[in-house]
Amino acid sequence: MLKLEHVTKKFGDYAAVNDVSIEVPTGQLLGIIGRSGAGKSTLLRSINRLHDITAGSIVFENGESSIEVDRLKGRALLEWRARCAMIFQQFNLVPRLNVITNVLIGRINYNGTISSLFNRFSAAERAMAVRALDQLGVSEQCLQRADTLSGGQQQRVAIARALVQEPKIVLADEPISSLDPRNAQIVMEALRTINKDHGITVIANLHTLDTAKMYCDRIIGMKEGSIVFDGLPKKLTEDIARGIYGVGDDASDEEFSTAITSTTLGAA
Amino acid sequence: MSLKLSQITEQEISLEKNRFPRVFTKSPKELAVSYLLWGGISMLTIYCLYRFNFFSHDFLFGLGTLGNIITTQMFPPTGFEQLPVFGKAIGETLAMAFLGTMFGAIVGLPLSFLASRNMMPVRPVQFGFRRFADLLRGFDYLIWALIFVRAIGLGPMAGIMAIAIVETGTFIKLYSETIENLDTKQVEGVRAAGGSRLQVIRFGILPQVLPVILSNTLYMFEHNTRSASILGIVGAGGIGFLLSDRLRAYEWQEACLIIILIVITVYAIDYLSKVIRERFIFGDRHRVSGPVVDSDDV
Repeated sequence: MLKLEHVTKKFGDYAAVNDVSIEVPTGQLLGIIGRSGAGKSTLLRSINRLHDITAGSIVFENGESSIEVDRLKGRALLEWRARCAMIFQQFNLVPRLNVITNVLIGRINYNGTISSLFNRFSAAERAMAVRALDQLGVSEQCLQRADTLSGGQQQRVAIARALVQEPKIVLADEPISSLDPRNAQIVMEALRTINKDHGITVIANLHTLDTAKMYCDRIIGMKEGSIVFDGLPKKLTEDIARGIYGVGDDASDEEFSTAITSTTLGAA
Repeated sequence: MSLKLSQITEQEISLEKNRFPRVFTKSPKELAVSYLLWGGISMLTIYCLYRFNFFSHDFLFGLGTLGNIITTQMFPPTGFEQLPVFGKAIGETLAMAFLGTMFGAIVGLPLSFLASRNMMPVRPVQFGFRRFADLLRGFDYLIWALIFVRAIGLGPMAGIMAIAIVETGTFIKLYSETIENLDTKQVEGVRAAGGSRLQVIRFGILPQVLPVILSNTLYMFEHNTRSASILGIVGAGGIGFLLSDRLRAYEWQEACLIIILIVITVYAIDYLSKVIRERFIFGDRHRVSGPVVDSDDV
């Protein structure tokens, strides 16, 4: 279980995440929705500890052991980042490296610094990387340079990289926002498979309501750094959604309707 | 379908090895190339060192003499009463470096577009400009300075021309390599908006190459300050003339003061170019994005 208590992250005086408290049970597929700038990305980056939080605490409980994530330092911090894999909107692959090396980057935390600097990974790790690519249907491209792949393929490679990290949690920051509907569906289904079959907790920032409603066990709505909705997808009515997206403030109705349906996915 | 390293079996490994052998081992050709390359580089290094008597008694003994010159004959520096003279000479050297770099950049920038493969579709022309650039920087500053001293007489102008010529060649090479590494997305954006060739350069290319060009140019200015201080030796004026004079007369302590002044000048330029780069290249982005590696990363 991942427990956030009164988490605040400030940039200067501006609180991007403001006093957020949530509990995410192991194995949940949690969707976070909200307008751009609502603090969704900042929240995920805080959990991965890509940056330090200003106040509050983040605790990860796994059986009897518990990790105080917000206090991690040095090796333990790097290990936490590896166990809590991240998927990005722009895939964040290394374009000049081939696909298999990009996936093997997911194994660097398990290897010594020196051996990984010389690109030395064991045969088992290489086989594991190929298997991960297989699961996402992109193993045939494994020796191509990452930048020769289409966006949808690149995101699948990024998911394979996350998988070989043997993560406890997968954080997906707008994973489908740069993809076409078909690829968005493939990626969302891959995330659901990771969640349901591997039992890995998935937290995904999503731009669009319909995707969140279709795939998530639970939805959190964020507005201006705070949580304004937390519940089952079916409880998320249009009125609440309008509140989350701030319609009536400065967003038009038209903007709202794009927000909920800009990525229309077929029946999954 | 679970994915754990501990559950990967030998059969699975050999299965994947058969499917994608190149994932597991480099091809014989790649292996041969890397062995040859590294073997060749180390053999060449050792052979050259051996031929130049690196492994000899004389060399190590000479190192001792060097330490001796620095510690006993150069310190403490003297000649402080001549500081105004030295200061003026350093100013002259700086002016030479500045003007030379400036001319080189002004001439080099437009020519670098003609020397870039992605900007100049006519291959022989592009190739011609590249070789022309090689020719300009093929001789060192010293050679050009000697030629110019012979042609236009003693003085800083010879040094400025020498630097300008070599820098034109250097900048054509550096700038055009930057231009060849362009990110084409932004260029396409400007082209799609109906931009003409020059408009594409102005809006799609300059904004992205400018930071690299600026930092190359600033570095070359610093480099040329050092070069300009040497050019004095062949009669192109500046601090180099005073330095070579002191060295020839075995005035090690005064030479030491001059060297210290040159080092201070180079530090000052380095600091200045850091300020300029932060101000013009990073701008706001510097403040927004966090550190790439933070102190907690081991």
